[in-house]
Amino acid sequence: MQRTRIFFTGVGGQGTLTATKLVSLTALDEGLPVTSGEIHGMAQRGGVVESTVLIGYLSPKITHGEADVLLGFELLETLRALCYLKPGGRLVGNSESLPPLSVATGKAAYPSLESVEAKAKAVASTVLFLPCRTLAQQAGAAQSANTVLLGAACAIKALPFGMEALERSVRKYLKPALAEANLKALELGAKAALR
Amino acid sequence: MPSPLLADTPGETLLLLGNEAIVRGALEGGVGFVSCYPGTPSSEVPDTFFRLSREGDYIFEYSTNEKVALEVGAGAALAGVPTLVTMKHVGVNVAADPLLTLSYITAPGGLVLLSADDPGCHSSQNEQDNRHYARLAGLPCFEPATAQECKDMARDALHLAHRTGQPVLLRTTTRVNHVRGPVKLGNLPAEKARKPFVRNLQQYVPIPAHSRVQHRQLLDRMAAIRQEAERSRWNKVSGQGELGVIASGICRCYLSDALFEEGLTGQVKVLDLGFSYPMPDALLLEFVKDLKTVLVLEELDPLVEEHLRALLQRKGVSLEVLGKSETLPVWGEYSTDMVRQAIRQAQGRQARGPEHCAPEQGLAMRPPNLCAGCSHRASYFTVREVYGDEAFYSSDIGCYTLGLLPPLSAADFLLCMGASISTGSGFATASGKTTVAFIGDSTFFHSGITGLINAVYNRHNILLVILDNRTTAMTGHQPHPGVDHTVIGPNERPIEIEPLVRACGVEHVKSLSPLNHKATKKALEEMKALSGPRVLILRDPCVIHERRVNGKVKPQAATVAETTEGCLDVLGSLACPAFLKEGDAVRVDEEMCSGCMYCLQLDKSFKAKKRGA
Repeated sequence: MQRTRIFFTGVGGQGTLTATKLVSLTALDEGLPVTSGEIHGMAQRGGVVESTVLIGYLSPKITHGEADVLLGFELLETLRALCYLKPGGRLVGNSESLPPLSVATGKAAYPSLESVEAKAKAVASTVLFLPCRTLAQQAGAAQSANTVLLGAACAIKALPFGMEALERSVRKYLKPALAEANLKALELGAKAALR
Repeated sequence: MPSPLLADTPGETLLLLGNEAIVRGALEGGVGFVSCYPGTPSSEVPDTFFRLSREGDYIFEYSTNEKVALEVGAGAALAGVPTLVTMKHVGVNVAADPLLTLSYITAPGGLVLLSADDPGCHSSQNEQDNRHYARLAGLPCFEPATAQECKDMARDALHLAHRTGQPVLLRTTTRVNHVRGPVKLGNLPAEKARKPFVRNLQQYVPIPAHSRVQHRQLLDRMAAIRQEAERSRWNKVSGQGELGVIASGICRCYLSDALFEEGLTGQVKVLDLGFSYPMPDALLLEFVKDLKTVLVLEELDPLVEEHLRALLQRKGVSLEVLGKSETLPVWGEYSTDMVRQAIRQAQGRQARGPEHCAPEQGLAMRPPNLCAGCSHRASYFTVREVYGDEAFYSSDIGCYTLGLLPPLSAADFLLCMGASISTGSGFATASGKTTVAFIGDSTFFHSGITGLINAVYNRHNILLVILDNRTTAMTGHQPHPGVDHTVIGPNERPIEIEPLVRACGVEHVKSLSPLNHKATKKALEEMKALSGPRVLILRDPCVIHERRVNGKVKPQAATVAETTEGCLDVLGSLACPAFLKEGDAVRVDEEMCSGCMYCLQLDKSFKAKKRGA
């Protein structure tokens, strides 16, 4: 068993925690010793949501420089969490953004995709950004943006299990009404990753 | 399908949240009564019990506050029923009065108090260490570190409580409450364990003559329980070497991972302290024999460390004890990395943390904000319009605390649940300044009402604005005495706030929806002209609660016809998260807009439109 630390970051309402739970459940079904953690006191109110999945560790917490994989569900939050990534680790992120209030009201600036990519490349061995929400809409459900990201991460083997296991989990654990869209989302994410 | 938490399927492994595992553990321990006041990070425990309450064989209630929850729970345990009472760490302060005497009179059915502490203040106003309550009250204490232990220790805590009558503290921290991990289920009890109440004045009525005896009995019980801690499966020794580490709570996970990463697994002697009070002195002395150095790992206060130092001094043992230091502070959380550094230092090696890029500075922050359509935003907007910076704002605990930041700037000071009225009263009377206090509906029922009675009794000159959003929104929409609906059905007898306020003797009371801007402004102006205790009840349901529980979504959304000066003013002064500034133009995100139509009342550049049109 390969010990792995995966750090998830996003904004309340993006399905970051659903994705975290799906990865944990899949890992457990695959017989892996999984521990997961989440801090979400204010997630509902547009705050940052950070969560973790660890394979082979007891602690649910990841500190700076410890993550093997960083999954960023929102661009600005990906940049903020970049320091959690181990040099040489892998990053899969959403290239689309949810501007915080200060940006929405024109009081603060938002970093460009290019600048985030450049900073990520200075740390990570693999950097992959894809338009999760756009691909999710193509898959038939905007809410499946989180699954698009998981599909991409799985395709580049950044998750501790293969695509079949992830597809089984989508069928088993997500709302049946959204299962087809989510399977399509996995596929579109994987395709975008391997292109 | 019944919940797997209620199924008698021993041996099955489920992925559970620490808080869900506590629910299962309590069920395996035979719990028959559960009371609580919600609060992060404890809330998923009572919320899970509530959600399953129709299928489960137990009695459940959300009590009005933590003191009431513990008193109701104490009554149930006196009646012989194994009981779990849950709250966040600061809630135990509220419940401290009954707690410190319950440990004298005992709880024969067995009572376990879950205290969910919050090192790092993820969602709390302080990071107090509630292990002190174990010492203050005389409570055996369990500290789980994994989801599996949450389950197993909740069960064992209930068994111990039922067997000895001594209330037991199950002390968790945010990381443990919100860990998710595999949990192997055990058996559910075949029979209900009950101990019918037997009248005994000396035992259950603590008048001074009885209390003096009861205190000594409490000490005897704790001495006997100390013997159980000495041989508990939760206090175990592993590994060997000249360096010993004593770890409790989540630090045990950090230690295990740190030893692995340093290649030291098995080469350091470890004492896992899971049953952490009363401290197993004989085990501690045995553990430190032949050690050169002992390192103590515990978050927050150095309770284990100081106990150990005192014990060693008493026994004349000379040994280097390392504990709180620059690496291991008395504040905040520990981490695997901090523990690695502490071990390296203890071994005389240089500290070496993991490499990482510098955290990016100056990024736009994302502070939690009131939701789009939240009625609190409208309330604050109008209060500021009428009172501005002239008034001082006394705030309280709830979603509405999020109004502290500009542009709403609706909080100048804050203490704890229910304090806004009384603290505001003292401030107003001592300073002679105009003071406005805010309190939510659940917090008003929790402990605001006593402050209001005091304000009337002592004629404090204060305007109280009750922000009534018909639920306990901040902690996840738990019901309270005033709600109309809950996730499992209607509340048959909602208690109305206005008559309650009038019955407290408040002369000037008015209720209306804050989403009616003009009427709210007029009401506030009238209140401003008056003196003495006045109450304005601003009532409109929480938008998220309406959507989730009642499935209500408003058919219309706001839109911007043309970006004018007025429109930009509203963007800046209302700070609704549905507004977006794109270049010079203001836009309303239709998906986020709740359709409250408040912005339409502030400037005519905002228009209503049908969703999807």
